[in-house]
Amino acid sequence: MSFALSGVGLTHPNGFAALADIGLRAAQGERIALIGPSGAGKTSLLSVLGTALAPTAGRLAVLGAEPSSLAAGRLKALRSRIGTIHQAPPIPARQRAVTAVLAGRAGRWPAWKSLASLVYPADIPGARAALARLDLADKLFERCDRLSGGQLQRVGVARVLYQEPDLILADEPVSALDPALALATVRLLVAEAEARGATLVASLHAVDLALGCFPRIVGIKAGRIAFDLPAGEVGDSLLHDLYASEGEALPTLATEPRFTARAAENDDAGCTTCR
Amino acid sequence: MPLNSASSLPARDPAAPRRLAWLLTALVVLWPLLRAAEVQPGALVAAENLKVVGNFLAAFLPPATGAEFLGYLGKAAVETLAIATAGLALAWLLAVPLAYLASGAGREAATLNPVVRLVLTLLRGIPELVWALLFVRIFGLGPAAGVLALGLTYGGMLAKVYAEILESADPRPARALRQAGAGRAVAVAYGLLPQATRELVSYTVYRWECAIRASVVMGFVGAGGLGQLMDQAMKMLNGGEAASILLAFMALALVADLLSRALRRRLEQPAPPRATAFGPAAGALGLALAAAVLGSFAYLDIGLAALFSSDAAASMGQFVADFLAPDLSADWLLKVAKGSWETLAISAVGTLLAAAVGLFLALGRPRPLFALILNGLRSVPELVWATITALAVGLGPFAGVLALALHTAGVLGRLYAEALENAPPAPSRALGLAGAPGSVAFLYGTLPGVAPQLLAYTLYRWEMNIRMAAVLGFVGAGGLGQQLYFELSLFHYAQASTVIAAMLLLSIAVDTASRLIRRRA
Repeated sequence: MSFALSGVGLTHPNGFAALADIGLRAAQGERIALIGPSGAGKTSLLSVLGTALAPTAGRLAVLGAEPSSLAAGRLKALRSRIGTIHQAPPIPARQRAVTAVLAGRAGRWPAWKSLASLVYPADIPGARAALARLDLADKLFERCDRLSGGQLQRVGVARVLYQEPDLILADEPVSALDPALALATVRLLVAEAEARGATLVASLHAVDLALGCFPRIVGIKAGRIAFDLPAGEVGDSLLHDLYASEGEALPTLATEPRFTARAAENDDAGCTTCR
Repeated sequence: MPLNSASSLPARDPAAPRRLAWLLTALVVLWPLLRAAEVQPGALVAAENLKVVGNFLAAFLPPATGAEFLGYLGKAAVETLAIATAGLALAWLLAVPLAYLASGAGREAATLNPVVRLVLTLLRGIPELVWALLFVRIFGLGPAAGVLALGLTYGGMLAKVYAEILESADPRPARALRQAGAGRAVAVAYGLLPQATRELVSYTVYRWECAIRASVVMGFVGAGGLGQLMDQAMKMLNGGEAASILLAFMALALVADLLSRALRRRLEQPAPPRATAFGPAAGALGLALAAAVLGSFAYLDIGLAALFSSDAAASMGQFVADFLAPDLSADWLLKVAKGSWETLAISAVGTLLAAAVGLFLALGRPRPLFALILNGLRSVPELVWATITALAVGLGPFAGVLALALHTAGVLGRLYAEALENAPPAPSRALGLAGAPGSVAFLYGTLPGVAPQLLAYTLYRWEMNIRMAAVLGFVGAGGLGQQLYFELSLFHYAQASTVIAAMLLLSIAVDTASRLIRRRA
């Protein structure tokens, strides 16, 4: 069991209910895509799974522990096994890519090693290998404020690859990437999770990317789970219901207006299969 | 799928040799500075010194509470407030146009305006004490000299910091506006001010607090307020009165601090949804501000017209002429050079010590306790710290270093704490969520983002401390100040002029060095 939520609700102090009555379980090694319109609660759900927000109702168990009952030390140990890819990469502007990636193990390294690594990077080959998988090996010693938005987002992905967590949470991990890179990056995450037996939960804006790369799809709408099905059983009507508030067309990589031209070139790559 | 073969890339950190070189350079520079500042930590714990300080501090108790004295104290406190408020109002009027001219913010090509920058350097480079002396000759003893001196020096400081705050804001919004055809003023107002308002306001309010302290320092040369009272009490070694004055002073600083915090909290609140950004509360605040400034000028009864009279012009001309013939004999120059080196050492070592202590205090928990300590440290002016540290370690540069460090730690600690509060929380929170311990999350997530700001504050404080190091010489803490005080009291204007020129050169040199360091960092 990788995580289990039952009856989980999250109500903000201002009274807004971001999540209500969520029941969701995943076995270790499962790969799940969260889809749904903006503001449906995808980020809130990932925050609860990542122990960033404590649910205001229901029970939560992550990697065999109940975060709310853990002492500070054990909570840290649990958190070091959860890797979150944030939509806006939480990396200080002036930090170098090598440091930003090595920070992925800040939860596992003893403090002295993290501190020493600020003087001289403790694991240059490791950081380079992680960046190389995202095609960024040449940016190893570059400062992050000299990177483009897409490059920075991939540094954030590299950090989590380097962390090697048992549970990977990805919140719109490819929102700043063009369709070809987005596909490659999601494939990389899926392959990584598969190779290490890690659980992967990713919220995705592009429905075709979710359906093509993930075996299990969870649709979220207005803070509740709308459906939880194998990718093959998610039909068009289900999707149109889910995105009813967002107009006729479903959000896909190809309908991203900026990238229509690029996406056409990449049709060969095919968004329907991942492996 | 990597396009670049990793083997062609460096296996070592290419930045490491440069870092090592910087570290070695810093050590090589620091050692002679430590020697010149005569740093002897041992003197701090020597038994006889501890006894002297203990006796002096014991005389502080109980503080004087005579009715007549309290009357004087109240009047002096109001006068100090009025001098600071009027002086800062003058400074602000001067600073806003100068900052706009000097700043590279919102310009398509980052051209600095060298003439305005030079004016700013001159305004700030001459210590307010020297300006005060100049104006005391024209207006006689009294608060007018203090107000004008504050206005000029702080006008230069505010303008410089305003310009830099605007430059350090994210330039992209303003650039986009420029590219959409907006003029520079509009681009600054729409693209930069929204990012910078908080910092601008909090720096201005903070400067007002500094002005209160500075008006105390100028009181020592007869510009009125609490400083004049303090000078008398210290000269008569009346510990009880000195304690009361200090307490009054700390109370003033505390009120100023609370006021500044309340102001910043207001700025943090999201504006209510209405067409104008200025509601009734803002209007009331503006009225209160105007009343305070006008009230201050009225209370101090400053005849600003006298500044433009022919008498004043003649008097100023005479003073300037006296100073335009500096003593340039090799003998005197050598002495001044030695004094300059000592002053440089006092300022640099004092600031470094303050930065270390300040950062420690800025991070301390619980916050309110450490905020109180910081408040206490900075509400005691350097001159008063110097009289105490001189007792603790004897007259000389080390007393100056300690006095500077104690006061500056309070100042920097507060600025650091504010910068840390304003830092984006996401990076360090993300590290915490990945299980990193607090110190690591701080060093990886928060510090890289705020380091330039902390460095800028520290360097800027160093630029101010080089001037303060000179003032500290007035109570025997060595350096250029001691020489200036000595020569001025003998009316040796030629020699004093050389010393002032050296101060100016030194502060320009420190300005330049600090700018270079900031640019490299």
